[in-house]
Amino acid sequence: MSKRKVKDAHLPVGECITQLQKILRERLCNQQLPEKPEGVGAQHKHLLELLRRTAVHGESNSVLIVGPRGAGKTMLLKSVLRELLEEKEVQKNLLQVQLNGLLQTDDRIALKEITRQLHLENVVGDKVFGSFAENLAFLLEALKKGDRSSSRPVLFVLDEFDLFAHHKNQTLLYNLFDVSQSAQAPIAVVGLTCRLDVLELLEKRYIERVQTQLSLPQDFPDEKFAKDWNESVKALCEDKSVEEVLLRHFNCSRDFRSLHMFLMLCLSRVTVAKPVVKAADVLEAGRLCFADAKADMLHGLSILELCLIIAMKHLNDVYEGEPFNLQMVHNEFKKFLQRKSNSMYNFEQPVVLKAFEHLQQLELIRPVDGSSAKTQREYQLMRLMLDNSQIMEALQKYPQCPTDVKQWAMSAFG
Amino acid sequence: MIARLQQTGYEEDRLQRVAKLLPCRELQAGTLLSIMGQPQQYSYPSVFIYGHRASGKSHVMHILLKELELPHATVSCVECVSVALLFEQVLLSFFGCDAASLLPRSPSLSDFVRIYRQQCLEMPAKQTRYVVMEKAELLRDMDANLLPAILRLQELVEDNVTVIFLSEIVWDKFRPNTGCFEPLLLHFPDYSKGELQQILSQDKHPSYSAEFYSSYINILLGVFYSVCRDLRELRHLAALNFSKFCEPLAEGKVKESDTHKLWRNIEPHLKKAMQTVYLREVSSLQWEQMQQVEEKETGPLRGLSAHTHVELPYYSKFLLIAAYLASYNPARTDKRFFLKHHGKIKKTNFLKKNEKTSNHLLGPKPFPLDRLLAIFYSVVDSRVAPTASIFSQISSLVTLQLLTQVSHDDQLDAPKYKCAVSMDFICAISRTVNFDIVKYLYDFL
Amino acid sequence: MSTSSVSKGCFVFKPSTKKKKHLGLEDHFTGGCEGAQNSGKRYKLCQDLWDQIKTDTESLQDELNRSILDSLLDFTRKCSSTRQHGDWASQMRASEIPTAALVLGVNVPDHDMTFQSLSELLQQLVTPHVASLQAKECGGMKGLRRVLERLMGTTVTVDDDEEEEPEQTSTETHKSMHCSLGILCDWYKSKTRKSSTGTPGKKRSSPVKDELQQPPVVVIFKDLEAFNHRVLQDFILICSRYIERLPLMFIFGIATSPSTIQNMLPHSVSSLLCIELFQSLSCTQHLATVIDKLVLTSHFPFKLNGKVMQVLISIFLYHDFSVRNFIKGVQLALLEHFHSQPLSVLCCKKKEALANVMELSQRDLERIRQLPSFRRYTEKQDAQEKVNLMTDDTHLKVEFLFYDLRKYHKNYYPVLRCLHTLTSSLPRYPLGKQIRELHLICLEKTVWETEEYQSAMKLLRMLAKDELIASIQRCCGTLKPVKSKKMMNALIQMEEILTKIKQLDENAPPVDNSITSPVKSLSQKKTDLFQLQKTLLEMNETRRTKKLSPFETVRNEALELIDGLVKSHLSPPEAQTLYEVCYYTSSATVRRHLNATPRTSIQAALSNPYHYLQTEDGSVSNAAPDICIAYKLHLECGRLINLYDWLEAYATVASAAEGNDPDSDTFGKVDEVKHARFIQAVSELEFLGFIKSTKQKTDHVARLTWGGC
Repeated sequence: MSKRKVKDAHLPVGECITQLQKILRERLCNQQLPEKPEGVGAQHKHLLELLRRTAVHGESNSVLIVGPRGAGKTMLLKSVLRELLEEKEVQKNLLQVQLNGLLQTDDRIALKEITRQLHLENVVGDKVFGSFAENLAFLLEALKKGDRSSSRPVLFVLDEFDLFAHHKNQTLLYNLFDVSQSAQAPIAVVGLTCRLDVLELLEKRYIERVQTQLSLPQDFPDEKFAKDWNESVKALCEDKSVEEVLLRHFNCSRDFRSLHMFLMLCLSRVTVAKPVVKAADVLEAGRLCFADAKADMLHGLSILELCLIIAMKHLNDVYEGEPFNLQMVHNEFKKFLQRKSNSMYNFEQPVVLKAFEHLQQLELIRPVDGSSAKTQREYQLMRLMLDNSQIMEALQKYPQCPTDVKQWAMSAFG
Repeated sequence: MIARLQQTGYEEDRLQRVAKLLPCRELQAGTLLSIMGQPQQYSYPSVFIYGHRASGKSHVMHILLKELELPHATVSCVECVSVALLFEQVLLSFFGCDAASLLPRSPSLSDFVRIYRQQCLEMPAKQTRYVVMEKAELLRDMDANLLPAILRLQELVEDNVTVIFLSEIVWDKFRPNTGCFEPLLLHFPDYSKGELQQILSQDKHPSYSAEFYSSYINILLGVFYSVCRDLRELRHLAALNFSKFCEPLAEGKVKESDTHKLWRNIEPHLKKAMQTVYLREVSSLQWEQMQQVEEKETGPLRGLSAHTHVELPYYSKFLLIAAYLASYNPARTDKRFFLKHHGKIKKTNFLKKNEKTSNHLLGPKPFPLDRLLAIFYSVVDSRVAPTASIFSQISSLVTLQLLTQVSHDDQLDAPKYKCAVSMDFICAISRTVNFDIVKYLYDFL
Repeated sequence: MSTSSVSKGCFVFKPSTKKKKHLGLEDHFTGGCEGAQNSGKRYKLCQDLWDQIKTDTESLQDELNRSILDSLLDFTRKCSSTRQHGDWASQMRASEIPTAALVLGVNVPDHDMTFQSLSELLQQLVTPHVASLQAKECGGMKGLRRVLERLMGTTVTVDDDEEEEPEQTSTETHKSMHCSLGILCDWYKSKTRKSSTGTPGKKRSSPVKDELQQPPVVVIFKDLEAFNHRVLQDFILICSRYIERLPLMFIFGIATSPSTIQNMLPHSVSSLLCIELFQSLSCTQHLATVIDKLVLTSHFPFKLNGKVMQVLISIFLYHDFSVRNFIKGVQLALLEHFHSQPLSVLCCKKKEALANVMELSQRDLERIRQLPSFRRYTEKQDAQEKVNLMTDDTHLKVEFLFYDLRKYHKNYYPVLRCLHTLTSSLPRYPLGKQIRELHLICLEKTVWETEEYQSAMKLLRMLAKDELIASIQRCCGTLKPVKSKKMMNALIQMEEILTKIKQLDENAPPVDNSITSPVKSLSQKKTDLFQLQKTLLEMNETRRTKKLSPFETVRNEALELIDGLVKSHLSPPEAQTLYEVCYYTSSATVRRHLNATPRTSIQAALSNPYHYLQTEDGSVSNAAPDICIAYKLHLECGRLINLYDWLEAYATVASAAEGNDPDSDTFGKVDEVKHARFIQAVSELEFLGFIKSTKQKTDHVARLTWGGC
């Protein structure tokens, strides 16, 4: 590597790294679209065709893009649009309306947004419309104004489509589709929604994707560096341990975005000092991703809180998962204290109450019923949100855990 | 020994200053920095940082953003009683007050995003903008799709912005059932004993040497570490007991080096403090006063929790006692307890099989007003007229939270109550009117 | 139908102020007792007396609160000063909000005055920025906004300015769209900058002006228990974010016990506070002082007799620990007295009394002659005098016996105190621990005939020397300020006795305290009555056998003196002539007004409406209101009442009331009108809670009350 540094001093490694980070980060943050979307070639083609029809020939269409979260629906659409807009007439012809179910939470807001995006605020002014339909019709009518007889085609993109379906009697959707059916104005409605079943993505392609995502484009300023980089990435993907980690990650979440997150972690460890992704980085990233959050939290509890949790565990074992309240837990705890006389641990009720509160605040335990205000805190029924294995694991990891507490936890019945 | 933070794109000395300001958090800060990347580069849309209280989450964020002079908005979700406040604060700290004033009266998310975009066009981000959300768990209680939207803010506003969530609760509790954009998870582990030692030793008393103070901290941790790992609490305890620790020095009995003597002097006090750890009973001043009292008569430690004695009017006391009996005794046992000559009812034949667990484990049961009064009249020694003031006493007991009204308070014909005082409390009360309550309690037959 | 709100209303709201009571009072007075031409005068007297009492009590209460208020002020000053130039400890706690937990007894209404004066003092001496909150005005985070309002318009809003709240809020919301603490901070910064350049007039008076360049911002939570936990927690959390920019400070008004703080706040919140505890003196002490200054003094001519006193005190002890209500009670008694007793014109200062006596009318003099106490007096006189008194008005006026009463008072109270000082330290308190108990005894009966007094005397006879000396000295202390001849003499005698005792231990060898020891031992360990009696007996034995030592003789002397004083001065007021003029006696009225019994009065109204309808004949004729008829009828029924039978019965009674002749066929027929009236009556009964509809039988209702409650 030092050789290379000598060779092309005109582009120092730091600069390269910066470039690399820039490019890859943009890619991974879904900012910069890949020049060719992988795996969805067919869909790409089809969608492009449909939209072009609307844009050029002014025929109405409606499309629903379905896929799991982070499968690249938006990406697909964006790339299609990018390609579409390269055509001259489409450019000057097509109007776009981008709606998002998260933002336009009801039809009134949605309509406002539409008006705004079509730049018709001044046209609408302060007219009052009887119904939503009238309003929409007016908008589309307004588009017709001007020299051309037929109105310009409008592309409605509805992200988080399913949320629109939740709107009060779905006026927006109804009207949009109505318009698209009765050809009063050429519009294309593209809905993006997620289906929660898994995308059947093959493991092999998964690994490939890792490579493609990390590989540098040809037009990288310093092709030598790019070459080295790409090779290193290739080598990385062949590494057994890396593959293992990737597969594990693949098994728990198959969508691309989580992969992006994963790669982001790896990438963030690339520095001037270490201008390649090492297997270690991948492993580290894996560790970060697979960390069991609850266990981590248990690790930070005070010994008193831990004891309470153990007491709850025992209660759960005895009364097979019946809800419990602080009094019972405290009783259980007291039993333990009596069994072995360690004066160090007996706390006043208020102290125990505080510990209990803290556990509740961390949502490691959760009240059974909502009527918390009426009952005293020490009698409020609770459920434990942990399973025994988690507790045991935490106990093993716990620093300076007294042995008797460990034994108590192990013991079958409190 | 401070691990060097390094990240291209920031000045070296700044990074060093940051590293100095973040003892024992270099690792986390480093990871965070590397994820943030260089200022002008894109960073991951949303990062979720979780860890226990006082594990330096907001501190690290604050120091990083402040020292590295990155554009950022810090929002505490407690303070945002309405989303409007949240939007306002973000816009305010990014684009100045005129942008914030653009918000309509009750803004929707789409308004916010719209305005944000407008402002972005005017002043596009040269560096990554950061939004820090403290106590993010409260976002869940707000509008349903607020959290998902904020998670993908970068995409929605098409700006180089990264949202950082800080919370004590793990991400699994956040995830809405329809799923959402998954943030990058980052855990801040609790400090190890050594780290606590190092941190606590930093705020040393000006008039004593550093090693003296650190030895003090060492003793403190030796006692408390097992029960309390909350940095804030430990600091409080340290401040509380230090003067006591120094007393022998002031009296010139021992010198700083003689740790053992000091230890023997301080240990009992720390043990006492152990009993009330987490309660925050009193400020240090009163603590010391109490310690002096301790020297004289060695009674139990009197903190806030010790002041449980409450002066009540005579009948209020009996009302409270009656309420306690009503809520901890099964109604069918009243006959046996309060009828003068109730034949021969032995405990056995009115003890049901299923009542293995005592009512003092299950807590108080609600009871109707007339039962309360019935018990009251049979408990109180003298004959009492049902005057208005008796009833007003009941309601005032409710406002004092010694009773709680269970039924909805516009239900007038048969209001239900519960007794909300502890066993010790009621015992103390009934002692003052020399009424032996234990005799009347079903659990203690 | 929403009767609930109505009926709730009539539970909640008390008649607000005494103002409206005073409104039409003067003409009421004329109505008070027949032929009262001096009503105006009485009214005036009453007013003056009341104003005097009022001012005295208020000053007294301020006095009582003084200490705790001062300590609070010091606390605030300390906080604000340490914040600016703090030592190590305070720096360690820089992030915590200084908080004063102020524990004042369970009677919440009484606190208002305390908080009032507290906030006033704070504003005068420490900081202009004080806001006080009540639970009922911040159900949500609105509370935050109220704090802002009250601080920015730096007036502590008193509770009765509700009408100006609304526009205040509206302006506030206009000024800033969402008011957050950030705004408050900016406001505070500007404020302090101004004040640091030119100090406003408020702070000039303050002694600590120099260090108060940054006056703290004090928020008072008047009734902590009633606050919504959630709101309070959020508020504290928010405040703690601004603590380094804004010197905040809390004062919690706690009614029950400080541990409520822990019940309300989880550790994550309470760890943001730096709590200090302040305990106000208990309300019983409070009452004791009030009684001492208000009742046990010859300063006011108006007196309460034993029963009324008893009623007031028992209301205090048994029902509400409210000193305010006690004073209200006194006021009520005062009004009633001047209202109902025409001779109360004489219940005033000496001079006025004389004047009033001179212009007493014939009729009033007759009244005087009617007075039982006066009768008793006349009986004692010789025949001639009797005649004069009964016939000659001028004679009666001239040698008026009214002054005896004042003299009596002049001596009564000092002697009472002496007796109390002697007996209050005895084992088992034969004459009561509190002076008010002794006072009650003296009012009720002639104290020296009670066996409590006897036993007390016995015990006193066994006092050890040092105890005796101490108590006698205390007695002298109480007697000194009094300037009446008798007391002077008493004082002199006591001092003589003291000197005697002193001489004793100069010359005569100190007496063996063998016999005195038992009392000590008794007073140390609480012995049961029997034990006590036994010891007393054997002591008497010993006394009989062995001759008295010089000390004992002196002691007996002293006790003789005390006994003499008691016998001559502590006779019950009933024995005094003309005591009706000054003593208010009808305890029933007071009880009825202060401790109302709604159920019994409803009962009375239903069973005997004329008691309220102000008509002569007693029994419920069937011309009574419908509800009364229905009630009477339902009393005869069992647990379940058949509505139809009830209706039938009602119809007959009602038609009988209308006087239709029983033979006519329409008699007892149920027509629409009767039906409607019946239904109304029944629904009224249901609302009053005597019956309720039942699931068991559709056409029946269930009785809820049994017997007379």
